[in-house]
Amino acid sequence: MRRVALFLLAIVAPLGAQSGRGSVRARLTGRVPEVAIAVVDSVVRAAEAERLPTEPLVQKALEGAAKHAAPGRIVQAVGAQAEQLRQARTLLERGGGNPPTAIEITSVAAAMVRGLPPPLAGRIVTALADEPPGPALHAVADLEGHGFAEDAAVDLIVAAARAGLRGLRLLDVATAAVHELQRGATHPAALATVRRALPDVPWPPKPSPAEVNRARRPRPGV
Amino acid sequence: MSKLDPRIHEVLDGDLPPERLPPELRAVVLRLERAAGLLRAGLAPASVAGRVLAALHRPEPSRGRRVLQWLTERHVITIAMRPVWSLALAAVLAAVVLVPDHGSAPLLGAQEGIARFVGHFPGARSVDVVGPFTDWHTGVVPLRDDDNDGVWSAVVVLPAGTHEYMFVVDGERWVVDPLAGRYVSDGFGRQNALLIVRPVGR
Amino acid sequence: MSGFADAPDADVIARILAGDGDAFGILVRRHEAGLLRFATRMLGSPDAAADAVAEALIRAYRHLASLDDPTRFRTWLYRIVANRCKSHLGRRSAQRVSLEEAAPVPDPHDGEAELERAEQLGLVERALRTLSPEKREAFLLKHVEGLSYEEMAALTGERIPTLKMRVHRAREALLEALKEHR
Repeated sequence: MRRVALFLLAIVAPLGAQSGRGSVRARLTGRVPEVAIAVVDSVVRAAEAERLPTEPLVQKALEGAAKHAAPGRIVQAVGAQAEQLRQARTLLERGGGNPPTAIEITSVAAAMVRGLPPPLAGRIVTALADEPPGPALHAVADLEGHGFAEDAAVDLIVAAARAGLRGLRLLDVATAAVHELQRGATHPAALATVRRALPDVPWPPKPSPAEVNRARRPRPGV
Repeated sequence: MSKLDPRIHEVLDGDLPPERLPPELRAVVLRLERAAGLLRAGLAPASVAGRVLAALHRPEPSRGRRVLQWLTERHVITIAMRPVWSLALAAVLAAVVLVPDHGSAPLLGAQEGIARFVGHFPGARSVDVVGPFTDWHTGVVPLRDDDNDGVWSAVVVLPAGTHEYMFVVDGERWVVDPLAGRYVSDGFGRQNALLIVRPVGR
Repeated sequence: MSGFADAPDADVIARILAGDGDAFGILVRRHEAGLLRFATRMLGSPDAAADAVAEALIRAYRHLASLDDPTRFRTWLYRIVANRCKSHLGRRSAQRVSLEEAAPVPDPHDGEAELERAEQLGLVERALRTLSPEKREAFLLKHVEGLSYEEMAALTGERIPTLKMRVHRAREALLEALKEHR
């Protein structure tokens, strides 16, 4: 019952938030070619009915328009994005636990587009149990991007999770392994060094107060 | 389970002509082909065209009904993905962007972090970073090069999470951040850089 | 419309996306036989297979705009059907799905050769039932539906060496099971 209640809350809240942002058509009009707007709008509505995050779809359409993509290409990209989100949510649901949030779905979709094979992604989701797997998937993709074998990359991240590291700290594990490479270690040696150090991997540097003061919030449409 | 002679697999995979097999192995190939043939043929004709086309003419189920369906179904799906690889530059992960804040940061909300965008664009008249956080508009987050050394930068407060982005140079040239370290296909034949922003205190 | 029934899938899809929803019937009729055969062999039940294929086709129609490459429509359809089958097998353990349902009952008026054929088919079906869903899927796609390893890779998201290995294991398991059921 608790699962049902949480689930309902999870769908009602984003829907409420979305309705406050004005219609999709209004956001697209004047930027996205007219011929594509109706199709994008219908894809967004279908996604809304499926309880998928819709903002990434609107953004994909705006991105296509900004990049001067043809209307057909925009529609295709928005459709593909919807499918990626759908697949990401399915993967998250396989892990059990609470219904995934829009942020988690978007993060996992991005991680999967980076090229993780489904069996590996499934292994990570299973190993992390109730933990949102987005950061772990990105950590494995980071390692693969630096030439680590995918099985070894998954093993390291799973070991880090077992050692108590969670969420974005798993990205630091990948960063630590990459730093070992930069110091001249071989891939196996880099993995072994980081594994021995677990759960002690360096935190990334803090922003300086000056940097925080300099930071500005983007205000689209201003 | 007994292993088959590898030549049997090679023939069945089309990598070896069948006549190269000795007769006893050819019999095994025939046995498997016959099994497949039986499975291919031995079914009564059936059609779902009528029910599918009828269903397509009905309106889609209501949201409530979809919720009910979702709650009563288990979802198992195989996911096909495109390998999107671009080798990241080595010096990267720390160089750009992921700057968390463990201390007090009165300007930042709990689910916000700081992103630092840096690029080397000598001779550029303007550089913008664009992404979902600017609705892909230029002019929202311009980078600056106050000392005219060609290094342009901007520091931005963004919601925690993943963000795709690109640089736009002189208002028209779209450039992928070579230092990002993470990339995803943009769906339009190119790649976006991917940024992961940490929330305050993480 | 004349001659359109023979048009490539991608052309039919373009027509559907342009608003001619009825053209989807062409694609349904073109592909349903293979899909039904695959699903029946996966699930062991023609009724469950018809449900899976019908659901998959409806889903395909509703998500047609998300198809990246319309020339790979057939592979995409198989993928959706394969996913529906796996969902189905996940809901009901494979052992509880009776593969006998799928075996045609030999008619006493059939000739002797036909009876022998039906008996052999029964043996193969029982052997197929002993394979894991992944191996069963791999064997059926490769040897019954005649897909290439490239198409199977696009369909399952697995890499080609993994699929080859799976098909090889499936062949070995099937032969072993055929020996036992003899």
